[in-house]
Amino acid sequence: MKKDMILEKSNLSYWLRQLRKEMLLIGPMHGENGDIVLKTVENIHEIVLDCPALIPSPKEFLFPQKEEMFGFSTEGTKNYRNSKRRLIFGVRSCDVSAIGLLDRFYGGKFIDDYYTARRENTVFISVGCNKPDPTCFCNGLGTGPFLSSGFDIQFSDLGDRYLVEIGSEHGLSIVKKFSHLFSKPQKSDYDDQYEAILSSHAMFEKRINLENARQKILSGSVEDSFWAGVAERCFECGGCVYECPLCTCFNVIDRKYSAIEGVRLRNWDTCMFRGFTKMAVNVWPAEKKIMRTKRWYFHKLLYYPEQFGRFGCVGCGRCTITCPGRIDMATIAYRLKVGNNED
Amino acid sequence: MVNYHKMDKIPTICPYCGCGCGLYLHVEEGNIIGVSPIRHHPVNRGALCVKGWNSFEFIQHPERLKYPLIKENGVFKKSSWDEAIRLVAGRLTDIKKSYGPDSIGVMSSAKCTNEENYLIMKFARAAIGTNNIDHCARLCHSSTVGGLAVAFGSGAMTNSISEIADAKVLFVIGSNTTEQHPMIGMHMLDAVDKGATLIVADPRRTQISEFAHIHLRQKSGTDVVLLNSMMNVIINEGLVDIPFIKRRTENFDAFERVIREYPPDVAEKITGVSPHDIKKAARVYATEKRAMLFYSMGITQHITGVDNVRSCANLCMLTAHIGQPMTGLNPLRGQNNVQGACDMGALPDVYSGYQKVIEPSARKKFEQAWGRKLPSKPGLTLTEMFDAVLTERIKAMYIVGENPLISDPDSSHIREALEKLDFLVVQDIFMSDTAEFADVVLPAVTFAEKEGTFTNTERRVQKINRAIRPMYGSMPDWRIISEISKKMGYNMEYRATHEIMEEIALLTPSYRGILHHRLDGNFGLQWPCLDPDHPGTPFLHRKKFAKGLGTFIPADYIPPKESPDKKFPFLLTTGRIYFHYHTGTMCRRTSTLEREYPECCAEINPEDANTAGIKHNSMIKVSSRRGTITVRAYLTDRVSKGTIFIPFHFREASVNLLTNPALDPLAKIPEYKVCAVRIEPVL
Repeated sequence: MKKDMILEKSNLSYWLRQLRKEMLLIGPMHGENGDIVLKTVENIHEIVLDCPALIPSPKEFLFPQKEEMFGFSTEGTKNYRNSKRRLIFGVRSCDVSAIGLLDRFYGGKFIDDYYTARRENTVFISVGCNKPDPTCFCNGLGTGPFLSSGFDIQFSDLGDRYLVEIGSEHGLSIVKKFSHLFSKPQKSDYDDQYEAILSSHAMFEKRINLENARQKILSGSVEDSFWAGVAERCFECGGCVYECPLCTCFNVIDRKYSAIEGVRLRNWDTCMFRGFTKMAVNVWPAEKKIMRTKRWYFHKLLYYPEQFGRFGCVGCGRCTITCPGRIDMATIAYRLKVGNNED
Repeated sequence: MVNYHKMDKIPTICPYCGCGCGLYLHVEEGNIIGVSPIRHHPVNRGALCVKGWNSFEFIQHPERLKYPLIKENGVFKKSSWDEAIRLVAGRLTDIKKSYGPDSIGVMSSAKCTNEENYLIMKFARAAIGTNNIDHCARLCHSSTVGGLAVAFGSGAMTNSISEIADAKVLFVIGSNTTEQHPMIGMHMLDAVDKGATLIVADPRRTQISEFAHIHLRQKSGTDVVLLNSMMNVIINEGLVDIPFIKRRTENFDAFERVIREYPPDVAEKITGVSPHDIKKAARVYATEKRAMLFYSMGITQHITGVDNVRSCANLCMLTAHIGQPMTGLNPLRGQNNVQGACDMGALPDVYSGYQKVIEPSARKKFEQAWGRKLPSKPGLTLTEMFDAVLTERIKAMYIVGENPLISDPDSSHIREALEKLDFLVVQDIFMSDTAEFADVVLPAVTFAEKEGTFTNTERRVQKINRAIRPMYGSMPDWRIISEISKKMGYNMEYRATHEIMEEIALLTPSYRGILHHRLDGNFGLQWPCLDPDHPGTPFLHRKKFAKGLGTFIPADYIPPKESPDKKFPFLLTTGRIYFHYHTGTMCRRTSTLEREYPECCAEINPEDANTAGIKHNSMIKVSSRRGTITVRAYLTDRVSKGTIFIPFHFREASVNLLTNPALDPLAKIPEYKVCAVRIEPVL
């Protein structure tokens, strides 16, 4: 389904205010000193829309860093599936593309109840990106800056109004009740959107082609010495995975509150840790860092395309911001292209 | 407005190391559900290390202390705050009356805020009336605080973290930076990427040494010789900055005479570093203007800790690498607020801002402000306090947020002292090994449940913000202290921590302009900040040293107290590992960190292991003259032949049962980095 509307900018805050009565409104707000973070919107006029990549990615609302799964005691178990209704306003196209893949991962062959419960109650409104960061490269992957499908609702900023594209039942449900706020788009609106898309594309600084990187790896010409050089710089912080809107790994732990009561939690985990594949009797199959860094890149660049037909990267540039060793996807793709001799 | 399930992100400061990274705590309905880095923070710039990323997990751990505990007949019983405070105040007053105020020792905590450290210091000095107050800086950087105070007049990192990436030479000695101060390591790698030359001096092959252009692997405990020899080369080859030495320093001639005795070929015999490498390092460091020197525990934790620090200071002055951006002498502080705890005077000889207790004018100022007569004799240091317990000079101790049983050298000795105490109060967030010995245990709060300020290694005073209400029945440390003080008849009336900060600013020249409202919405202020409009000081000793002229203090080589011999043929050196932190109170309750490094491993060179018949991953016994522990052997060439490295985080294999409590005569810092051990396989 797809349905397009026009929303005057002056109507936006009224609409959000009405929606907020039914669901938790989360949006990009000012954090500390120039930072912009996704959190509960207290004052609608303080939402910042032309924002850089939000750290961390909005996956935290579907798959939080720490999630209580169920409590257990001698009385039995109690499920903690989270089904609060949320509206997440102002995410970017790369994030929406990532969520599309998360949906396929967590809702595919094996359905993850905790994810699905959150997903079914969350509506995302993305804003076509007209201010890409210097670290962004979604334009080379087709995961942004504007999308043609896959979103709940996509806004395109046309100056005094938004072109509102509705791409799912989810999205439609929050527009339907307020149809008096919206009008029908004219051809000129689409022309304006096209112009916005083109000027956005022109603003990207990075030109990264992951297909080149993939071919290079498949050709077998990338030697282990290359990956050794990458691994050497890894700080084992896990930041690339924690920040990645696509990474899905978690660890399950039990927390004991008393002798008869406890809770099962899941925490974000990462394949960059040696303990991720730890086995009994002190066996660490991926003890060497090179094995783990290689695995992460191979997963993103080779196995994702095999499994989902798309790269395990949406070009959001978050790992570029957060990697202390500067071995993020964009840098490595570039180095794969030019070989190990960067100079 | 119905907004009952609000999701907020509270900016605050990481509670682990001295980098002082900015992070957000994600809070939903009073639960902390995650962490993310502050993108524009000058230290971490949107990155975090593994400890920072997982710093949320221990906060709401079910093992948190939930209510005060009082020991009755050897068993802890739950008590009310009222009862516990009455008991602590009553017992301390009794002991003070019968044995005098100096029979009580107080240990403050580098994990607590500045405000709390100030109050604990005030509590010891004004309420109890003793200068017996110290904290764990004694064990990490007391040699820096003491050594640099005499050389420069200020014992803190001279320059700023954000300058590192633009430096041209980085000389890192005795610091495993990428693992122990990862975000500073990040800036260093950036500098190397931009073309800086990296010199690392470390006996271990650490991660940062892999990036070094020159790696000097001196023998543990020979740093003075290595540095003296580098200075010998610099003097001999005329690379000295003569105008700087003439204008801004003193005592050069006496210093030069000593340095003459350490030519590189003499140094080679002691340090094991080739003259060629010494010369190369000396030339590179001396000839580049933008050269920064970093050091950490590898320099300070020796019986020659102060000498080591002074030698580093000499090197900086000799080449005029100080008093300008991208230069300086940069001790990397370990704990999140160890700089602040020192600044606040949680030390036996100084009040806040390093104002000496023996100085009548300083004492008078504090006496007037606090309305009490204050003791004039410097108190006992942390390491001396436990000896004093055994000689019955100290009868009671009040320990805040420290775990000396695991962290101090020669644990058996500490255990004996803790058992001997008449009265012990421990204030902590978890039941620590030390707390087991306490008569009263008071539950305090973590960084997420209180307000206040932390001072990071680059002197940046930053505000932490309360994200959740105190868990269970715990109370912020500053409240506990003021309640006890009140009960002891010394009133401490503060409504909030900003009132304490106001008092600190009033009494502390370097914090004069630091007030809470100035720290909101920015990334703090770097002291000295001399008035309410002062922008802070990114680098020290500009145009003039803090004490006027910089002083060259020559140091001669003194070998470690205990060298390997026939009976104990291996040199044991201790330290931290990336995934853990100190005695593990927080990190070992964090699932990811604990999984990554679940047990104590001793790093052994494969050749040594071969000779001793030890296999990789097998259990071995390590013994010194003081004790024996059983650990897993990890064969690696990160350590050189004849050396063993064991981290000190693990209570089940506490390496401090082995370490030597020999102290630096001035700083009283123990020699954690060198002692003699033998190893044998467990059959």
